[in-house]
Amino acid sequence: MDIKTKIESLGIYLPDKIITTEDLISRCAHRPRIDFQRITGILERRVAENEYAVDLAIKAAQNALSMSRYNAEDLDMIICTSISKYNRDNEVDFEPSASVMIRNGIGAGNALNFDVVNACAGMFNGIHIMKSFLKTGLIKCGMVVSGEHNLPLVETSVKEIRRSLDKQLATLTLGDCGAAIILDGSTDEKYGFHYLEMVTGAKHNHYCYSKPSHRGPGGVLMTKARGLQRKGAEHFPRYLKKAVDKSGWTMDEIDFGIAHQVSVGGVKKGIKVTKEFLNGVMPVKFLYNVEKFGNTTTTSHFLVLHEFMLNGQIKNDHKILFVSGASGIVITNATYLLDDLPSRYQAHLGRS
Amino acid sequence: MQRCRLESIGVSYPNKRHFKSGSLNHAVWAGRTCVEKSKHLARDIQLLINTGIHRDDHYAEPAFAAFIQKKLGINAEFQGRKTLSFDLQNSGCGMLSAAYVITTMIQSGSVQVGMAISSEANSDKKPDPNYTYPESGAAIIVDVSPTSSEGFGGFVFKTFEKYRDLYSSVVSLLEKRGRLLVRKKQGLEEAYLQCVEPVLSELLQHENLELADIDYLIPSQISDGFLKNLADKISFPLDKIVNTTHLFADTLTTSVFLGLQYLMDQEPIAPGKKVVLLTFGAGITVGATIYYF
Repeated sequence: MDIKTKIESLGIYLPDKIITTEDLISRCAHRPRIDFQRITGILERRVAENEYAVDLAIKAAQNALSMSRYNAEDLDMIICTSISKYNRDNEVDFEPSASVMIRNGIGAGNALNFDVVNACAGMFNGIHIMKSFLKTGLIKCGMVVSGEHNLPLVETSVKEIRRSLDKQLATLTLGDCGAAIILDGSTDEKYGFHYLEMVTGAKHNHYCYSKPSHRGPGGVLMTKARGLQRKGAEHFPRYLKKAVDKSGWTMDEIDFGIAHQVSVGGVKKGIKVTKEFLNGVMPVKFLYNVEKFGNTTTTSHFLVLHEFMLNGQIKNDHKILFVSGASGIVITNATYLLDDLPSRYQAHLGRS
Repeated sequence: MQRCRLESIGVSYPNKRHFKSGSLNHAVWAGRTCVEKSKHLARDIQLLINTGIHRDDHYAEPAFAAFIQKKLGINAEFQGRKTLSFDLQNSGCGMLSAAYVITTMIQSGSVQVGMAISSEANSDKKPDPNYTYPESGAAIIVDVSPTSSEGFGGFVFKTFEKYRDLYSSVVSLLEKRGRLLVRKKQGLEEAYLQCVEPVLSELLQHENLELADIDYLIPSQISDGFLKNLADKISFPLDKIVNTTHLFADTLTTSVFLGLQYLMDQEPIAPGKKVVLLTFGAGITVGATIYYF
């Protein structure tokens, strides 16, 4: 029997504070002349105050554990996939790995731990690795967790943006969020990840990068958004089609698609190019909530899953297609058949 | 389960050039040497894991592995064969963790050939005096072993959180271009020694071996004194512990594989020999594996 990897539990943590796009734009030292809110479709995002990346990750991990049948001590592996390692003011952590702090924060004393960094594809990269450990029987369950505290990057771009089409403009789409999933082997071969493929087209790694600013204090995220979208659009529909075919599914069967939440325009553009690739037929409905939460980088797919399971749109036995494009460029496509996670999630959060 | 082996190893030793080479160049030199010595072509590599901590310009995104993949020309375009590259960070235990991940992904049937690569360099114009690692690079190619007797045995990693404040490295963003700061407290080497025994015991128990069965031990080259204390602590002959500290200082993530290359350069390692690779990193995390030649 082919044992599939399944999401046993999900935990999301969103900070309370909301900052609107209008607030951010009005604070820019050089206000862009374009209608940023209309172009991106992002109205607001959550931002962490007095909390750091690892705090967001720990709270999400605790939320995931609260509905899981596993305790923290049961976890055999923790992979932290955060890009942002802002765990103090004005500092980015390299060592020890964030997974050490999360392991300690949730009391998972038996877990093997390390960090994986692969831009916005991080959480799927963590899943990809953990699948192999589950399949070979080296572990029984594990957690992939991310805490994205992007506000420091946003603050730098507010100070440094100089032009209407500045490379730092895309930073204003970012939001903060923590997400954690607990993975184990599915007892029913029907449920879980049917296919997961990741590929890096490193020739195009120059379209998006993050590092300390060369102009002053702080970190920056520089994005050639149009080029990144164009290169991604050239290649990802082929991988998307392959994922669906390899799963033995048809496009009609897929209940929902969840794309990386870069902007409303970005998601719609992705749907459009896929439709063109599929000769004008695109039956998959893509869900998004980027207008409320911005681009929460590694956590964005699971934030969508969280919201649409809670509001009842994503239900048990639904087939989900995950699509992601990340700087590198990393293209990820995954197909997933949900078990009773949506009903358990609703029941756990008291909205059944 | 099929054993996986070190199919090829390439290193870029610390050099004494006046100008710095940078972490990307060291990674690429090590990677290129590794591919040249391998029976595999660059395009055969389906998984590329970079485990270097300190990199040029302190990049956070994209994965530094993508820069290395591009420079090495490993399936860098979305056509034909494909490669997934990413960074794995586990301080000084990173390369061993990556070897574990590649081995597991091969055994699960996810990939056939993987490369772990690492390099260390501090790109700051005025480096923090606490940063003492010379620039270096190391790369390994891992594939399925043709025999059941050659290759990696089990892997054991343990994290001892009570010592996590003893060592950290951060990039301060208070000045432009950032500045790498290493914070090392007294008692770090003693703490490493306190943590080593449970890891080695579990590894040897897993492999059904005694310490006396081990032919060589290659630990992270923390210092000459540390290696002597390690020999005393675990009651292992000092002459069987590979020591490169007389050639260059500890190189963090690349240290153990530079040590392995050094050992292989001294004398060919005969089939049947057993070598333990032992790494120490912030956390404190201690990792170990045994390699059957």
